Amino acid sequence: MIECPNCQHNNLDGTVFCSECGTQVSNSHSIVTQNIAADSLPLSPVDRKQTTEAYAKSLDTWASLHLLDSGQILPLGDRTEFTLGRVSEAQPIMPDIDLTPYQAYASGVSRLHTVLKREGKRVFVMDLGSSNGTYLNGKRLKPNVDQTLNHGDMLALGKLKIQILLKNP
Amino acid sequence: MAKTPDYYAILGVTRDAPQEEIKRAYLEAAQRLHPDKNKAVGETEIFLEVQQAYETLTNAARRKKYDASLPQEEQPSLPFNYKAYYSRPNLVRMDEAQMLYILLEIAPQEKLEEIPAPPLNVSLVLDRSTSMKDGKMDVLKSAAIKVMQNLRSQDIFSVVTFSDRAEVLIPASYPYDKRKLESRIQMLQPSGATEIFQGLQAGYDEIQRNVSQERIDHIILLTDGHTYGDEQQCLDLAERAAKQGIGISAMGIGKEWNDTFLDTLANRTGGSSRYIARKEDIQKFLVEKFEVLARTLADDVVLDIKKIPGAEMAYAFRTQPETGPLPIEDSIHLGPLLQDSTLHVLFEYRVDASLTKQDVAYLLRGQLKLSLAALPTPIPPFKIEFSREVKDEAGKEPPPALIIQSLGKLTLYRMQEKAHMEVEQGQFELAAQHMKNLATSLLAQGERSLARTAIIEAENIVKMQSFSEEGSKEIKYGTRALIMPQEKEQPI
Repeated sequence: MIECPNCQHNNLDGTVFCSECGTQVSNSHSIVTQNIAADSLPLSPVDRKQTTEAYAKSLDTWASLHLLDSGQILPLGDRTEFTLGRVSEAQPIMPDIDLTPYQAYASGVSRLHTVLKREGKRVFVMDLGSSNGTYLNGKRLKPNVDQTLNHGDMLALGKLKIQILLKNP
Repeated sequence: MAKTPDYYAILGVTRDAPQEEIKRAYLEAAQRLHPDKNKAVGETEIFLEVQQAYETLTNAARRKKYDASLPQEEQPSLPFNYKAYYSRPNLVRMDEAQMLYILLEIAPQEKLEEIPAPPLNVSLVLDRSTSMKDGKMDVLKSAAIKVMQNLRSQDIFSVVTFSDRAEVLIPASYPYDKRKLESRIQMLQPSGATEIFQGLQAGYDEIQRNVSQERIDHIILLTDGHTYGDEQQCLDLAERAAKQGIGISAMGIGKEWNDTFLDTLANRTGGSSRYIARKEDIQKFLVEKFEVLARTLADDVVLDIKKIPGAEMAYAFRTQPETGPLPIEDSIHLGPLLQDSTLHVLFEYRVDASLTKQDVAYLLRGQLKLSLAALPTPIPPFKIEFSREVKDEAGKEPPPALIIQSLGKLTLYRMQEKAHMEVEQGQFELAAQHMKNLATSLLAQGERSLARTAIIEAENIVKMQSFSEEGSKEIKYGTRALIMPQEKEQPI
């Protein structure tokens, strides 16, 4: 039997989501909602910016996330909307992009923090009412309001800094 | 030298099929293909082959001789691939039951993408009862005209309207003169009551005129009301349709139709059912349905199961395309196989402790059956097995992302299903609690408006001891739609 951490319902062994309350009960620490090729970049400090941009351009996606702390680039898939957040074990929340591997918890990233979307050629960011806020170039965004994103903009989800690299700046 | 035909494939049985099964397969095929009934070109020849296959295979001596002449049975090169994903790498030896989730993926082979999708033979069965008045009729008409205009010249199309009786508005024909067809549809006027069977029967008759293995035969029913007293007749008709490879899909407009009934009706044939909340969406959904049909390679993939004691298939759900729960029977209609997308069905298994005494637990032995309209040769049924090793320890590997994703959303749908069952059994407090739990999970996934509806329904259950018709459908089909994969959009 597996006891649900949320409602204490006893589920049969092998259950993945609690049948009473929908909480995820399987022991899966490393679930990534979407498989992203998290290629890390061998960056020399000299032309770090250039390499990054060239690399981002070479990817076949409309946008990539450049995680400043680790220097990693996450290319986004070909959907037009991505939620950013972190998977938490006790709840069935599935952000499209799970930032858990990038110190999301320590940086104060909410489970559903921010959404990036593309409408035609324009790209927007919207804070989803996160606890620690989303900052665009240092300015805190109002929750649930779309804000246009440009190539090279700096986002901060709590303390997690992400540079936005767009394919067609 | 002429190749001996594969009699087993013709009858749709495996090489080790017992006599009874061959007999049953023959009777089924004969009913379908008998020249008295079927006038399609070339089918008489197929019938003769079936006859020959039966005569050969039911005579023990002749069968033996024939078998000897057959080349070694090799894994037939199938025009599709299948793969089973398991939620756990192995089962655990224990004294109590355990759960296992299996996602079955069926994908057409690449070469099939190049074959043009087969032509359609579609009948639109439209409700024209009085309740369709307030503007719904006009939207319905323009939707019907829209899909008619999208038809390809090789498609066959008919329109049937019904109230308490049915009329054939457009008899089954190629859409040569689209303007004439348009003016016919425009003439439609609402009046009368809703008797779905009348409409279905007329639609079925229109399909019958051209029913053929080489076409995608499908009836699309649009209605906004309850039907009274003829449900069983409708289901019997669906059963007959399924045997002939005719699919039925249903769309309910507004809040007053009987969703359980339309779901069951569509399920009998591997078709789909949808809820159209706003009349403005009629056209969008109908166009979508036609697009799906136009990409269909096989109407209905059927999974025949032999029950294995101790392995209980507790739930089956098609997560893609056209999400919906599947009734668990000896033959499960899994749904259509599309040209450019995979068919995904998620199974929940409750595995009894007795099965974990062996080293390998078999959960399913069965066969997959489908016929591809684009390929002239019949595909032999393909054996399929679900099994897992049994070990003393649980495997460390987490479930595949695909299973987690589908299951995470499916859990929401099942919570509302549970609440419905509890309301029926008079356990209102429990039902309300489950709706609240559902609301919490929906909120967490960012589904605010559905979450709000779930909370309102929780209140309705407490106050009125029932769901509201509208809210109940919104949540049922809303949570079902969440399971659907995101549509891909054109890159910039």
